[in-house]
Amino acid sequence: MRFKWKKLEVAPPYVSMADIAFNLVLFFVILARTQDDSHLKWEPAKSAATRQIENASMSITVDVDGKTYLNGQQVGIIELPEGIASQLAAKGETKGKVLLKIHKETQALTFEPIIKAVSKAGCEVVHVLEEQQ
Amino acid sequence: MAGGPAIGGGGKRGSAAQTVGVLNLLTDLAFNLLIFFVVCASTEPEKGRPQDVPNVNEKKTEESKVQPVKLRVSRTDVFLKGETEENLPIEGLAARLRELLAEKTNPRERIVMVQTDGDTTYSQWIKVAEKIEEAGGVMTMLKVTEKVVTLRKSGGE
Repeated sequence: MRFKWKKLEVAPPYVSMADIAFNLVLFFVILARTQDDSHLKWEPAKSAATRQIENASMSITVDVDGKTYLNGQQVGIIELPEGIASQLAAKGETKGKVLLKIHKETQALTFEPIIKAVSKAGCEVVHVLEEQQ
Repeated sequence: MAGGPAIGGGGKRGSAAQTVGVLNLLTDLAFNLLIFFVVCASTEPEKGRPQDVPNVNEKKTEESKVQPVKLRVSRTDVFLKGETEENLPIEGLAARLRELLAEKTNPRERIVMVQTDGDTTYSQWIKVAEKIEEAGGVMTMLKVTEKVVTLRKSGGE
């Protein structure tokens, strides 16, 4: 007896494969972003002269409670110079751009040592501000 | 993620399967578009202002012939430091600084030293920095002399 093999009409799921590829691209785009610090609460100071900021090497945030974070990780102000240096070393850079996300009500006693530490490390200070209308 | 059944066959059953498959693919597409726009919205570039903060030694500037402009910024006011302190309104600060820096053509001489009180807010500091930049000055921070306080135990050392 001879069996008759039925030919299956199965086409490769090209659309689904494209979906997977697209999702992978999105995944790596999100992963490539600088460390997420969106959970930190802070309000930027207002300024009339702002411009768009390009990607920075790292970010320093001072939240509403006056706590300091380097790339989303809480650090003490004394530990900042060392932290900046190690971040630069990890990226193989000698100079970098540091985003300062400082809450508008932060006092000079807190933000001045931060700015000094960044400039002492040879990095460019970039203040993240809200555009004043 | 809905892959959808393999498209094929004929007749009524085949056509129903094909419709389900197409619907699944459309749902996938809509979902992907949604994610794409969410990601786009969250990666909106931030706005701000770069600042060059040179390290200036106060002793060296005192030794040099040209005296830098010195400001004291309190929580609410700005003062021009000299023999006496002159209160400068923030609105007219840029114009006054422009006057003071008019004769200074060398960028090294256009330094404006800013001293803050401990309670000066970042918002106030940014306003002053903006005015200095507007006047063509280079802002630097004046080191406040640190006081060393030694605590002694009563009746102890």
